[in-house]
Amino acid sequence: MPGPVKIKSAGSKPAYLQRINRLKTRVLQTRPEMDLENARILTRGFQEAEGEPLVLRKAKAFYRQCAEKTVSISEDELIVGCSGSKIRAGILCADSCWSVLDHELDTISNRPYDPFYLLPADREAFINEIKPYWKNRSTYEEWQAQIPEQTRVLRDSGVIYIDRKAVRGFGETTAGYEELINEGICGITANIIKRRSDLDMTRPGDYEKDCYLQALLFAAEGIIKLAERYADKAGRLAGAEPDSQRRKELFEIAEICKRVPAQPARSFREALQSLYFYQIAIFMEQNAASYNPGRMDQYLWPYYKADLEAGRITKEEAQELLDCLWIKFSEPCLFQDAGTAEFAAGYPMFQNVCVGGVDDTGKDAVNDLSYMILQATMDVQLYQPSLSVRYSLAKNSNAFLRKIVELIRTGTGFPAFHNDDLGIMMLMNKGIPLKEAYNWNPCGCVETNLEGRLRQYTALADINLGSMVEFALSGGKSRKYDRRVSVETGDPLAFNNYDHFLEAVKAHIVHATRSVVIGSHVIDEISLNRPCPALSLTFKECIENALDYAWGGAKYNAGNGIILIGVADLINSIAAVRHLVYDTEQLTIEKLITALINDFEGYEDIEKLCLEAPKYGNGEPLADQITGEIFTFMADEIEKYSSKFGRMTPGILPVSGNTPFGLEVGALPSGRRAWQPLADGVSPSGGTDLSGPSAVLKSVSHIPHGRYVQGTLLNMKVEPAMLETENGITQLMALLKSLCSLGVYHVQFNVIDQETLIRAQENPEQYKGLLVRVAGYTAYFSELGKDVQDEIIGRTVQHGISVG
Amino acid sequence: MSADKTAAGSVLRIERSSIHDGLGLRTVIFLKGCPLNCSWCSTPESKEFAFEKGYAAELCSACGRCIESCPEKAISYTDDHLQVQTEANKCTRCSRCVGICPSNALKMYGTTLSVSEVMREVSKDEIFYFYSGGGVTLSGGEPLSQAGFSAAVLKKCKVLGINTAMESSLYSNYESIMMILPWLDDLYVDIKHMDSSVHRKWVGKDNRLVLENITKMDQSTYPLTIVVRIPLIPGFNDSDQNLLATLRFCKGLSRLNKIELLPYHRLGSETYRHLGLNNPCIDLIPPTADQLSERVAFMKQQNSKINICAGSGFTSE
Repeated sequence: MPGPVKIKSAGSKPAYLQRINRLKTRVLQTRPEMDLENARILTRGFQEAEGEPLVLRKAKAFYRQCAEKTVSISEDELIVGCSGSKIRAGILCADSCWSVLDHELDTISNRPYDPFYLLPADREAFINEIKPYWKNRSTYEEWQAQIPEQTRVLRDSGVIYIDRKAVRGFGETTAGYEELINEGICGITANIIKRRSDLDMTRPGDYEKDCYLQALLFAAEGIIKLAERYADKAGRLAGAEPDSQRRKELFEIAEICKRVPAQPARSFREALQSLYFYQIAIFMEQNAASYNPGRMDQYLWPYYKADLEAGRITKEEAQELLDCLWIKFSEPCLFQDAGTAEFAAGYPMFQNVCVGGVDDTGKDAVNDLSYMILQATMDVQLYQPSLSVRYSLAKNSNAFLRKIVELIRTGTGFPAFHNDDLGIMMLMNKGIPLKEAYNWNPCGCVETNLEGRLRQYTALADINLGSMVEFALSGGKSRKYDRRVSVETGDPLAFNNYDHFLEAVKAHIVHATRSVVIGSHVIDEISLNRPCPALSLTFKECIENALDYAWGGAKYNAGNGIILIGVADLINSIAAVRHLVYDTEQLTIEKLITALINDFEGYEDIEKLCLEAPKYGNGEPLADQITGEIFTFMADEIEKYSSKFGRMTPGILPVSGNTPFGLEVGALPSGRRAWQPLADGVSPSGGTDLSGPSAVLKSVSHIPHGRYVQGTLLNMKVEPAMLETENGITQLMALLKSLCSLGVYHVQFNVIDQETLIRAQENPEQYKGLLVRVAGYTAYFSELGKDVQDEIIGRTVQHGISVG
Repeated sequence: MSADKTAAGSVLRIERSSIHDGLGLRTVIFLKGCPLNCSWCSTPESKEFAFEKGYAAELCSACGRCIESCPEKAISYTDDHLQVQTEANKCTRCSRCVGICPSNALKMYGTTLSVSEVMREVSKDEIFYFYSGGGVTLSGGEPLSQAGFSAAVLKKCKVLGINTAMESSLYSNYESIMMILPWLDDLYVDIKHMDSSVHRKWVGKDNRLVLENITKMDQSTYPLTIVVRIPLIPGFNDSDQNLLATLRFCKGLSRLNKIELLPYHRLGSETYRHLGLNNPCIDLIPPTADQLSERVAFMKQQNSKINICAGSGFTSE
């Protein structure tokens, strides 16, 4: 093509991609199924250790899982290991939440969000073995029995969502992968044994510590056992393998699995395999999302560099191994109850890998491996791992930023772009000193973490901000359930100025926050009965303190994450009330409420006023000012409270919770109709950002991001021209630098592709801000005639993405 | 509009974060009013200086609210009662009907903004100009038709260190151009056709003034750069002969940065309907990507020294 310099797609594909594509096809063609093997072994383990301390029973049952579970190695695999008995399997963590499956036995195979096919044999095993033992023993049942009344009322009316931690294990953590790889399990075990030798069994408390340290040893033995079984399996397969090339590969696998993770890794490949064994082990221990490998480009770099220098590996071989690991990350599927799945759909494992940023001396940390990790996601294009970049405006290079943009171009939605300075700031605001905060890593969705040192629930509960406005205008009544569920804030008709109205909104925010905090304390207590010795192995201080991760043994403990959903709905609704009712007096509050009750049916003129009121995302002074005020207030409010582990931590990351929360909220003054989804993250509401990306970023920058220490999530659309030409790529780089300067924390891009445009054609009101631009001309897509729209759709690229 | 033309301008709209009209990320200020009448114009709502009311009949629910709201009684139902119509000579462009229309079928094209109001918009994106090397582009309509206002905006930008560009037909007296010259970094000017009589037929005016002004600006003492744009209109100016003539003219320009071929497009056809205007090029088929690249290649073949390229847009794919 002539004209703007077009980006050439990569030339001939490297040969190793054939293997990767075969492995990828296998993942994509496997239907997710429930997998109860782990639960059955766990049950037998608990039965066998009846009478012993809980943590020992858990550790022994874990050991049994490692010793008895199905071990298989598939064709083409170079990195091996599987947390269940098969890939794409949802494993049931019976001690946490057996009863979830009990409620869904007949529906799980076909439920709308994240179905898992339940085999008849598994169903039988569940009814005959699992359910009878675990009845009345799971954390989920404890939670159902103990949930405080005011928390329950809000939960049951869709104002808060707080069950997440009761239906699955901890997750939301970054284990000490570096220590594991460098020291090996045996190195860690030596520390445990030494620590045990310091105990004096006549001293009160030391018996408890001794039991705990023993539990750690069982967990450690289990992981070693698991690897040994893979070594045996590989050896046996090699013996029977007719193809000489594959036979050689299998022998190598056997050798590596004999070595790691028991011993320190000696090569890049051993380091990857060691990491993955530990990854499946901690997932097996507590089925949960968000076990984050973190800064792989940092802790794997010495291994890759040494191999390369010694001539033990080529770059291409290393890339193939990384790609193989990437496929492994996409194999497991998170099992969660139907309700939670609706809040986070897509079997979301959230294994967040991160590259870039600065090192612990504050200088540029990018190395060759950073690029290769980005390349792995470009090669594999599956939904896991969640790939994040830390971009340091001051320290990282333009070359690195450009590679990031090239990955954005693939349309996979990766990488999640993080402003490094803000991540560091957030970690410091969690109480971690700068020296260590330099080493932060994105966690799960957009939360912040620190490997091997930090314990927290990053997203304990979600608060529905749409409800806060609804309640202010209804005296605390839920429109959907037609009953009072929040505090009494008086007759809205008597609000004679804006401050009265705003005080009412704030009162409901206060009430919702308090209710979450009260519930959070209960969950913290229940979670004490959910020790996780395998995970605790790589938290040095857990060994030193002989205190489990679950009990606060990590070096740093942060208070639970309280997540806000419906940011734009809240801002736009407050702005509309202020503008229409109090500033310009175009509308009485009575008229507004009547229109809302009727979902604007018959009140289209009021709906129009509401829709045309100032909106967040356009750099409008009124909306932006409200943003700063209300989100400072909410951060203050959440930070007022502490749990036994530390100060509560605010965040804004909806995953997909904005959709189910929307179903609970009637029409809003923003002009949003009843039961529609709320806006996601800190993004503007669909169809209300009419001024382009710079205006969106300016508005978003009014949120005090650094205080929302569990992260703030921004989704933005990017026009294809930004990605198809040299000029566009340069401009997107400039846009990202501007974002950093503005103090915005995160962004992820959705490329406007054919599918987006077709949706926009069908639902123009949702895509009002979508611009069509060519030189010297610009128009809103929704305002073009169908014939012209069709022409544009025909000329816009289809971006492919594989989602699990 | 204010009597003081430097203080207020007739503005069609302001667009932010554009990457198509100059360097970097840009704020483009589309001014309203143009002295030319190009047959293929994609922005018919920019031709008149006065505000204009658009009507999207397909969105209209014929609720009649606009009829009630009109103080001049300029709006009435059509005979079939399914739509409304406005008597243009009675309408004062007060916008009351636009504000009240619940289905957004009515739209007012144009607004009056002071220089400081424009600058408030411009300054919102300063950080984006900084990182992208972008700035402000005046477009239209014809910025030179509001030269005092345009010069005031560009001057304010320059003082703030913001790059300035102008997309113009240069169909203007040179006094107006002189007002702008000290404040302009990059000029984007159309050469629509080299033959004066063909030009007059399709554009409504002679091309002599345009070519003269380009030459004068090229020879001025100010260090601006010039980008020549050819709107590639099939059957009008895409012949070998005309492109060669254009090249010959461009060869004489010392400030020429590049020549861009912008393919004809029909994105504005809906606006013609909404304004109730006849679209003279309604049946004209836009050039395909291949046709466009062939024309670019042809010109490059004739002159390898000048940077010639296709303008960004949908035909780039």
